[in-house]
Amino acid sequence: MNRLLVTICVCLFATVAISPAWSDEGVIEIRSAESELVDGVHLAMARLQYQLSERIEQALAGGIALEFVMEFEIDRVRRWWLDGNVDTVRVSYELRFDSVSERYTLRNTNTGQRTTYATIFGALNALGRVDRLPLIDDTLLSEDGRYRVSMRASVTISEYPVSLRYLLFWRNDWRASSNRVTWSLDR
Amino acid sequence: MVSRSLKHLFYTVAAAVGLVLALSALVLLAKTSNNSAELDRLSQLTLVINGVGIAILAGMLLGNIFRLIGDLRRQVPGARLKGRMVAAFVALALLPLSVVYYFSLQFINRGIDTWFSVQVEQGLDDALELSRAAMDIQIRNGLRRTQAMGRRIERQQESRLLQTLTEEREASGALEVVLFSGRSRIVALSSERSVNSVPVLPTDEVMLQVRAGRPFVSLDPLDNDQYEVRTVIPLSQPATRDLRVLRAVYPVTQRLSGIVSNVRQSYADYSKLKLLRKPLKSTFTLSLTIVLLVSALAAVYGAFFFSRRLVAPIQQLVAGTEAVAKGNLETELAPPPRDEIGVLVSSFNDMTRRLRAARDEAQRTRGAVEAERANLETILARLSTGVIALTPDLEIRTANAAAADILGVDIDQRRGEPLKSVAEGELLLGQLVDIANAHFSAGETEWREQIMLREAAGRRVLTCACTELTTDRVALAGFVIVFDDITTLLEAQRDAAWGEVARRLAHEIKNPLTPIQLSAERLRRKYLSQLPPEDAQMLDRATHTIVQQVEAMKEMVNAFSDYARAPELQISRFSLQRLAAEVEELYRAEAPHIGIALESDPDLPPIEADNGRVRQMLHNLLRNAVEALAGSERGHIDVQLAATERYGHPMVEIVVTDDGPGFQTASMHQVFDPYVTSKPKGTGLGLAIVRKLVEEHAGTISARNRPEGGAQVHIVLPLNEHAREAMLTRTQRRTESQRAHS
Repeated sequence: MNRLLVTICVCLFATVAISPAWSDEGVIEIRSAESELVDGVHLAMARLQYQLSERIEQALAGGIALEFVMEFEIDRVRRWWLDGNVDTVRVSYELRFDSVSERYTLRNTNTGQRTTYATIFGALNALGRVDRLPLIDDTLLSEDGRYRVSMRASVTISEYPVSLRYLLFWRNDWRASSNRVTWSLDR
Repeated sequence: MVSRSLKHLFYTVAAAVGLVLALSALVLLAKTSNNSAELDRLSQLTLVINGVGIAILAGMLLGNIFRLIGDLRRQVPGARLKGRMVAAFVALALLPLSVVYYFSLQFINRGIDTWFSVQVEQGLDDALELSRAAMDIQIRNGLRRTQAMGRRIERQQESRLLQTLTEEREASGALEVVLFSGRSRIVALSSERSVNSVPVLPTDEVMLQVRAGRPFVSLDPLDNDQYEVRTVIPLSQPATRDLRVLRAVYPVTQRLSGIVSNVRQSYADYSKLKLLRKPLKSTFTLSLTIVLLVSALAAVYGAFFFSRRLVAPIQQLVAGTEAVAKGNLETELAPPPRDEIGVLVSSFNDMTRRLRAARDEAQRTRGAVEAERANLETILARLSTGVIALTPDLEIRTANAAAADILGVDIDQRRGEPLKSVAEGELLLGQLVDIANAHFSAGETEWREQIMLREAAGRRVLTCACTELTTDRVALAGFVIVFDDITTLLEAQRDAAWGEVARRLAHEIKNPLTPIQLSAERLRRKYLSQLPPEDAQMLDRATHTIVQQVEAMKEMVNAFSDYARAPELQISRFSLQRLAAEVEELYRAEAPHIGIALESDPDLPPIEADNGRVRQMLHNLLRNAVEALAGSERGHIDVQLAATERYGHPMVEIVVTDDGPGFQTASMHQVFDPYVTSKPKGTGLGLAIVRKLVEEHAGTISARNRPEGGAQVHIVLPLNEHAREAMLTRTQRRTESQRAHS
C-alpha cells in the first residue's frame, strides 16, 4: 500500500511538473497602489507595468483584441471570522491593433471611451496609470470597521471561441495576471 | 479477510474520488469557459484535478503491476496465467489504440495544415497593403486640406475665427475642426457632430509631435467598422502669440471603410487562425494523447481486473488443491459463479467432501484397528503365556511381556531383528530357538512340544507350540510361537504328591512304631533278667537297637509330617539382620572350624513375615551348608542380606554361599525335591522344606553351583504384607493359567 501511495505521489508531481500550463510567460507587475479619501469617496491610484508574452503580442499584432482587467476588492477585516467582501470594482479595457491604420485603439469597456496610440508602448503606458479611480463611497462603510483593498490585474486574449477555450484550457501563455496587492483603506 | 476489506474500501474510495474529480473538472470547465478571469484562476486547479485523476489511475495500475511481479517472483499459483492474460488483454487493447492514435495524429496535423495556404496569406497581405494605400490617399488628402485650411485661418482675425472655421469645415467636408491653444485648450470649434459629443483633447503624443513643428495624421477606426482621418497641424504664429494647433477630422466614405474593415477583419481572423495553428495542433495532440492514455490505462486496468476475476477461481482451485495435497481436507472453496469454472469448483468441493468422508471412515477404521490392537496387546501383556510373532523370514515382529519374563530377554525391544541373532548369548532363548529351528529345518511349520530348558539355577519346563500366520491376501504372513512355563505347575504337582506321600507315610509308619517300641521295651523288661548273661546281653543290644531305630524312624516320620503340614502363617514385623545374627551365632558355636560371615544392608528395613518359619529357613540353609562342609578342615559360609525389588514391589534378598563341593550336577534340577541329598546323613528334606517355606511367603528360591566352587542358594522374599499379597496373586494367576493351558 505504501508503494502504491508513493507511486501516486510521484505521478502527481510528474504530471504537475511537465505541465506547460504551469509556466506563465507574461508578467504584470503592480508597482504601487494606494487609495485616498477625497470628498467622501475613496479614490485609487496605481502604477502598473505590463510585459506581454510573445504569444499575446503576436495575437495583438494579428488584429486580435486583448482584454485588460483590473479588479479592486474591498473587504471588511474581521478578527474572528473570514473577511467579508463589501464591494468589487472591475475596470476593463479592450486593446486592439488596427492592421490598416497601424494604430492601437484602447477602449474602456465600462465607459466606451476610446483612445488610439501609434505604439504599443503608449497604449500600455496609458493602461499602467490608474488615477483617481472611484472605489467606494465612504458612507457605505461602517464607521468602526477596518477595510482592506486588494488589487489584481490580468490580460487575456478574449477573442477565442468557447470551443477553443475548452481545448486550450491547459495553455497559459494566452493570458497573464499580476499578484494580488493589498492595502488598508485609510479613513 | 481484513486486508481484503481494506483493499475493497481503498478501491471504492479511489473510484469515488476519481468520479468526483472528473465531475469537478467538468463543472470547472463549464464555469470558466464564460469567464476568462475565473478560467485564469481555476485552470491550474482543473489541471491538478485531472492530474490527480490520471495519477490515481496510473497508481492503481502500477500497484497491480507491482503485485503481479511480486506474485510471479513468489511463484504464487495462477500468477503466470494472470500475467499471460494481462499481456494478451493489453496487447489486444493497445494495438488498435496505437493504430488509431497514429492515424488520428496524422489526420489532425494535416487537417489543420489545410486551413492555411500561402496564396491566401499573400492575397490577404496584398489586400491589406491595398487598403493601406487607399487610406493613405485619404490621409494625404485630409492633411492637404487641413494645411490649406490652416494657412487661411492664420490670416484671419480673432473675431472671425469661428466663422472662418465653419466655412472651412463645410468647404473641406471635415466632420470637425477644432483650434487648440498650446496647452490643449479649445480656442474655437466647428463640428458636424451632435452637441453632446465632446471633442477629445489631443494626447501627449500628438502635442509632442506638433510642438516639434511636424503635422500629425492618423486613421482612427470607429466602432461601426468606419474610419475617420484625423489631422493635426501647428499654425504659424506671430511672436506675440502662443502656439496654436488645428485639428481637422475627415470621414472616410462608408464604402471604402466597409471594404477596408472587411479586409482588416479577414486579416485578423486569418492571423487568429495562424496564431492558433501550433497550439491547436499541440492541443489536439495532447487531448488525443490524454484520451488515448486514459483509454489505455483503463484498458490495462480492465485487463488486470478481468484477468483477476478470471484467475481468482483458478487460484482458489490451485490453493485448494495444494491444501488438499498437504492433507488439509477441510478446504472448501467459495460458492462458484455459474460457469465452467463454477462446475470445476463444485466438483472440487464435492471431491474434498468425499475425501473427508473417506478419511473419516479410514480414521474410524484405523481407530477400531488400533483399539483391537491395543486390546490384543493388553491381553498379550496380561497373559502368562509367552507369545513371539515372527515374520516369514523368522524376524521378530512382536513379543509380549510374559515371553520376556519366561526367557529373561526383552524380545519386543528388538523388533525387526532375526530371531537367531536375538538368541545369541541368551541361555533359555537359545535353547528354544535351537528346538524351533530344528522343526523349521524339518519343514514343520506347525508343531507342539513340551521342552525342558536348562539354566544355571535349575531347569525350566515349557509347553511350546508354533503355528503359521495366514491372512486373506498372504499365504504365509509369519509364525507365532506360544510357550508356557509349567515348571511351577510341575513343582506344585510334585509338591502335592510328595505331601500326600509324606502324610500317608507318616500315618502308615508312625502308627505301628509305638507298638513296636512298646513291645521291644516289654520284651526287654520281661526277659532281660531271666536270660543268661550272654542272651541277656544280646537281648539288651537288640531291644536297644529296636528302640533306637524306632526313635530314628519317629523323627523321620515327624519330619515328613512337618513337611506335609501347612499351618497358617503368623506374620509379624521383625529385624531380619537380628534373626540371621542369632542363627549364625548358634552355628558358629556348633562348628567353630567353619568361618561364617554375615553381610547385611545397613538400610534394610524390618521384614513382615512368619518369624518361626524364616528362622527355620535360615536354620535349614546354614545346616545344609555346614553339613556340606563337614569333611573339610576349613570352610566358609557367607550369608548376605539386601533389599531389592521385583515387579515394582519391595523385596529382601537372602544369599547363602559356601565353598563346599556343591550340588551334584546330575541332580541339579532336583535339589529342592524331597529325599534328594548328596550327604550320607541327610533326610533330603532340608532344602525341600526351605523351598516350601519360601513359597508359603510367595517368594522365589534358586540354587546353583558357583564357577569357583561351592553352592549358592538365592532367596527373594516380599518385604511386607502388601508385596507378599501381590506376589501371591501373581503366582496364583500364573499357576491357574498354566493349569488351564495344560
